[in-house]
Amino acid sequence: MFVVKIGGSKGIDYDAFVRDLAQYRDYVLVHGGSSQLEEIATKLGKPPVFVTSVSGFTSRYTDRETLEIFNMVYAGKMNKMLVEKLQHAGVNAIGLSGLDGRILEGRQKEALKIIENGRKKILRGDLSGIIERVNTQLLKLLLDHGYTPVLTPPAISYEGVAINVDGDRCAAQIAVALKAERLVILSNVPGLLRDPQDPQSVIERVTRDQIEAFIETYARGSMKKKLLAAQEALDGGVKEVLLGGARGEAPLTKTLQGMGTRIC
Amino acid sequence: MKRVECPECGSEVELPADVVENEILTCDTCGIELEVVSLNPLKVALAPEEEEDWGE
Repeated sequence: MFVVKIGGSKGIDYDAFVRDLAQYRDYVLVHGGSSQLEEIATKLGKPPVFVTSVSGFTSRYTDRETLEIFNMVYAGKMNKMLVEKLQHAGVNAIGLSGLDGRILEGRQKEALKIIENGRKKILRGDLSGIIERVNTQLLKLLLDHGYTPVLTPPAISYEGVAINVDGDRCAAQIAVALKAERLVILSNVPGLLRDPQDPQSVIERVTRDQIEAFIETYARGSMKKKLLAAQEALDGGVKEVLLGGARGEAPLTKTLQGMGTRIC
Repeated sequence: MKRVECPECGSEVELPADVVENEILTCDTCGIELEVVSLNPLKVALAPEEEEDWGE
């Protein structure tokens, strides 16, 4: 059993990814949708607002209207695009968001500390949170009956409100909950890079103990959260986390074969 | 210079002239983080605990 997360940034070849993925069995797919969200939200006159936490993590500010557009793009367009492609490739995929059947449940953050114009501030009203429970019963029911779950944020709060959660960390929580051996995170970059401008500078191997230092030294932008997700997955019992690129043919197979960053 | 009393230790805390609502400041005496909850009247409260998880 493994969990694979496919990102939502520009440049990802979803057709190539699905062709590759369709050869495998016994997995759960988690996906993102960030570039589509940005494009559609902007077209709808609601461009994304990003905030930076005091420790340097960047995230989207999610008010109710943003969350509704988020649902349209992630649980609608992106999720059904992947389900359709998988069905076309002969995989009996079923697309669900974390809301459905409370697959991804957690708590909404009451207040966030952010840096704005160089000043530390408290931000309230952000509909984001952290996953604390995964409905493995429902996922196993689907897997045991031959369905391939295709999952996406948002998650659901204990109060029954949709919350935006990070997709990489979602995938990590799912991998831990399902006792998956491996978590594969594919994106538009080929792994953790020593130099973010140089795609050839992939760091091939990272140990658990190096993760925190590498978050500070090498990781930029969303790569920080991928490393955080890797750390959470390993701490939860997942044997290895692989970070790989999904711009070309056979991205999953190549990553499994060692092209990318292996964290264990 | 604007000044308020630290709700934790009672010391006087100086605020920048251009302080904004929800800004976090640190009490120099006890080191606690304070949030500016109101500008008029000027009021501070203990800042909430760190919340460091983020969405997509």
